[in-house]
Amino acid sequence: MSPAPRQASGRRRPRRLVPRLLTGSVLLVFLVFFVLPVLWLVLAATKTDQQLVHGSPLSFGSWHAFKHNWDGLTAFQDNAVLQWLGNSTLYAVISLVITLCVAVPAGYGLAMTEFRGRHTLLVSTLVVMLMPTATLVVPLFLEINAAHLIGTMWSIILPYSFYPFGVYLTYIYFTTAVPKDLLAAARMDGCSEFGVFRYIALPLATPVIALVGFFSFVANWTNYFLPYVMLPESDQMPIQVGVGSLLSNVPSFNPAVGPLAIERPQLALATLLAITPVLIVFLFAQRFLVSGMLAGATKE
Amino acid sequence: MTVNKPSPSPKRTLGKKRAALLAGCAATVSLALTACGGGGTGGTTTKDGFAQAPQKDGALTVWVDATRMDAAKLYQQLHPEAKLDIVSYDGDANGSNYLQTKVQLFNRTGKGWPDVVFSSQNNEASWAVDAGFAAPLNKGLVPGSTLGQFSKGANDVCTVNGTVYCLRNDLSQAVLWYNAPLLKRFGYSVPATWEEYQQLGEKVAKEHPGYLVGDAGDSFTPEIYLWASKCGANHITGPKAVSVNTTSEACTKMAKLLDVLIKNKSMSISGVFSTDFGKNQADKVLLMPGPAWYGGAVFRDTLKVPAKQIAAAPIPQWQGDSAPSTGNVGGGTWLLSQHSTHIKAATDFLKWVTTDNAYQGEKAPGFPAYAPAAEAWLKGQAASGYFASDLSALTTASSQVWPEWGSGQFSQEAIWAATVKPGLTQGKSIVSMLPAWQDSIVKYAKSNGYKVSQ
Amino acid sequence: MTLSHSSTGSVHGRPSGARRQSRAGLAFVAAYVILLIAFGILPTGYAVYFAFTDAGGTFTGFGNFITTAQDFRFMDAVGHVALYLLFWLVSLVVFVVSLALLLHRLASGTLSRSLRFFFYVPGALAGAASVLVWLFMLDPTVSPVSSLLGLLGFHTFGEVIAPGNLPLLFTVIAFWTGAGGWIVVIYGALNNIPSDVMEAARIDGAGAWQTAWHVQIPMLRKWIVYMVILAFAGGAQLFVEPQLLSLASVGVAGRDYALNQLTYDFAFQMNNVNGAAAVSVELLVVSVSAAAVFVARSGFFDAD
Repeated sequence: MSPAPRQASGRRRPRRLVPRLLTGSVLLVFLVFFVLPVLWLVLAATKTDQQLVHGSPLSFGSWHAFKHNWDGLTAFQDNAVLQWLGNSTLYAVISLVITLCVAVPAGYGLAMTEFRGRHTLLVSTLVVMLMPTATLVVPLFLEINAAHLIGTMWSIILPYSFYPFGVYLTYIYFTTAVPKDLLAAARMDGCSEFGVFRYIALPLATPVIALVGFFSFVANWTNYFLPYVMLPESDQMPIQVGVGSLLSNVPSFNPAVGPLAIERPQLALATLLAITPVLIVFLFAQRFLVSGMLAGATKE
Repeated sequence: MTVNKPSPSPKRTLGKKRAALLAGCAATVSLALTACGGGGTGGTTTKDGFAQAPQKDGALTVWVDATRMDAAKLYQQLHPEAKLDIVSYDGDANGSNYLQTKVQLFNRTGKGWPDVVFSSQNNEASWAVDAGFAAPLNKGLVPGSTLGQFSKGANDVCTVNGTVYCLRNDLSQAVLWYNAPLLKRFGYSVPATWEEYQQLGEKVAKEHPGYLVGDAGDSFTPEIYLWASKCGANHITGPKAVSVNTTSEACTKMAKLLDVLIKNKSMSISGVFSTDFGKNQADKVLLMPGPAWYGGAVFRDTLKVPAKQIAAAPIPQWQGDSAPSTGNVGGGTWLLSQHSTHIKAATDFLKWVTTDNAYQGEKAPGFPAYAPAAEAWLKGQAASGYFASDLSALTTASSQVWPEWGSGQFSQEAIWAATVKPGLTQGKSIVSMLPAWQDSIVKYAKSNGYKVSQ
Repeated sequence: MTLSHSSTGSVHGRPSGARRQSRAGLAFVAAYVILLIAFGILPTGYAVYFAFTDAGGTFTGFGNFITTAQDFRFMDAVGHVALYLLFWLVSLVVFVVSLALLLHRLASGTLSRSLRFFFYVPGALAGAASVLVWLFMLDPTVSPVSSLLGLLGFHTFGEVIAPGNLPLLFTVIAFWTGAGGWIVVIYGALNNIPSDVMEAARIDGAGAWQTAWHVQIPMLRKWIVYMVILAFAGGAQLFVEPQLLSLASVGVAGRDYALNQLTYDFAFQMNNVNGAAAVSVELLVVSVSAAAVFVARSGFFDAD
């Protein structure tokens, strides 16, 4: 995975202690920074609301409280939370498939072939990527309405499928990691352009496909505003919008809620449910983010 | 996608492709542009004071927040013949503006409006009338006899130029909550005037340091204290006009009172929902001016005060004031869409949900705005046995809300939170921040298109 | 999607390489171009159209730009965003690149992999999901790091979210959620540096610092430029972090803090989509100009 083991350890210069300690402590500090709040969140889901405020912040509550939180959360609008997770999965997975089918060839085309309009395409992709989203909502809504897709899942999936970030990731990957000579050689051997892509480039692109797939999944999974504005029915909501509506039922964030209020540990539990799929997909994708299989095959 | 090749003349295909692309693009553009023309509404009839769309059968779309979900479900249960499409949304909580956002989009596409909406905000009329969304209710839809039975002033927030555009769900009139056994143990009596209230606060600070006579840390602090003191910070004088004066005598004397009590720590500045309050001050509440919903939402559910302790008294008034006056913190509203194609069904639902005892009298969490339902509701509260006194103070207060504090499109709570709260934390006095508060209100009002007189 | 890989040019008179490539290139990007037009160019173009017209569709020139700039919150927001941008860009570039290099030097693959996972975890916590987390992290009464906050002189939530601390807080929050993803990207890019290049550097006697500075970072140029362009745009469009803190503090800190929050306010609170579009266009122009500088200086678009 990492190139370090490949180095012949015998010839390695003896590492000095101080830099190693420094490296270790820097990584440790950042590890605590990134993980501590998440650890707190995990523990919060095992506490009662009282324990959350009065107990030690990093203590475990009880399984009983965890069960109580789970029951409270699932009781919210008859298991709405599971439905939200299902909706999110549906939207994120379909868009992910479309994104991969569209973005990877596009990134490859931009990087490895010359055609008229290539530069324009690169520039316009970058420009729309930099556009703030607030004002795009109104035009998107009108467009989706004009296509008679309001109220269908496509009103979410199609805009998700447009993923310029992924196109650029693929583009940069191909321009930096795959030598053009390799493709030229394949063309000389009589491979068609699509053959070159299918049999030479695609197998080399596993890491970037995993990367694009992962980031696209996360972007779709965590998108809040588009489904919030676009979807007319509450049973179509994805989990992010769901967590938002739970939040507005927590008295600390919205004092005027009634007796059905959501307790903070229940919100913590919902949050954990919302992030688990992303973490699973990360672990899965990480297996493919291996070092360039090319390393050393050709030199630029 | 299938890609076939090779084609005889690549150049021509390219041209064709581009032409097709351009045509497609142009078609989409024109489609999108015509879309904003709005739905041509053919065959409207003017009735009940507005142009009504042709009426149809079909499900009634009702938007409610999670709390009001019960109301819609109960209606469905009691009226099995009614066809309801119940949609849950955040109820516009925390100024999410969801309803306004969606109505703007629906206005552009000419369809999609809900028939009846609940909002946890009471300033919806400030935009929903201009947006052509809210239907007038006192021009035929809801009989005057029904409207007349709402608590006095309850529907003021819904009224624009004499026309009622929404119905109030619940009232949030402020009263003086207190811990009855604790007050008795300390040998104090409930203050009737603000002067007595201040003296009591000073006594508590000396004799029982740590105990609290109130909290001034929430964003609704001005609505509890300054509104009750008749401070003219938010006098909505017309549909887009407001008069702001935060440095009048009425404002400064209340601000001074708060400053004294904050300084001697008998008044908290944490906010009753903050973790700090929950952890360190929950069992220190002796007195607490606050709205009707504090009884359930704060004392019972958040601070977990045991039963038979909390009681309600009228909010104090200034010595020499002829009539008592109080403030109001929130309270939801129900709107009916002008675009509804089921106006009859929508009106039936609206009337039921705001007035019927089955919901407002027995199930509603807040003090009903409809007076007959409020009576039934109070009986239910008394029967529940949580409170140490009857809640008749709420009924009295419901008609004493000072009418010269309105509900503009800009949020007074947000302005106070952003302008005054940080200064409080730094130890500044409220009196010293009154001019800055005024300045901020004026700016927000102007930026929302209000004409401001100071 | 079927890609026919039968006979190509070799049977028929083979088109010249360039023309063949040009045709194939267009085919590769065709599907993307459709999505780009429908969900990128068209809405953006529409927003630009909004920016120069009024609610009735009449052309107003720069009218919307002038009225929005006169809003009393506008100049403050510009200042806030500029300061935040400085903190954010510096911390992102320095820490992400250093952490990726450090992780890449770790001898243990498992350790490096686990660390990347743990650094990424907060990336899954977007928007509403992390309000609760930050409310409790930053409130000294209940925070796991209350002793650290105490050392810094903060004893109440109100003191922590004092106006002067906000740019730093937003940077911390944004870094917490955003850095892990970029670490993964940069780490992946480091992996793609051919091992013989690294070997050569080692034989030349370059230490870790020299290798990083003279070999690895130059070879990561495109990735870093891409990160900076997007981080700049993301920073200029600051929205989520102040919004989140505003929710957590019930409006005390973070409301109307950044320009992008103003666009939401214009569009959905004041019913002024045109004004919102004007501010968006300004943000776009700033981001694109910054991007243009980086692109021009780095040969970003060269298909080398």
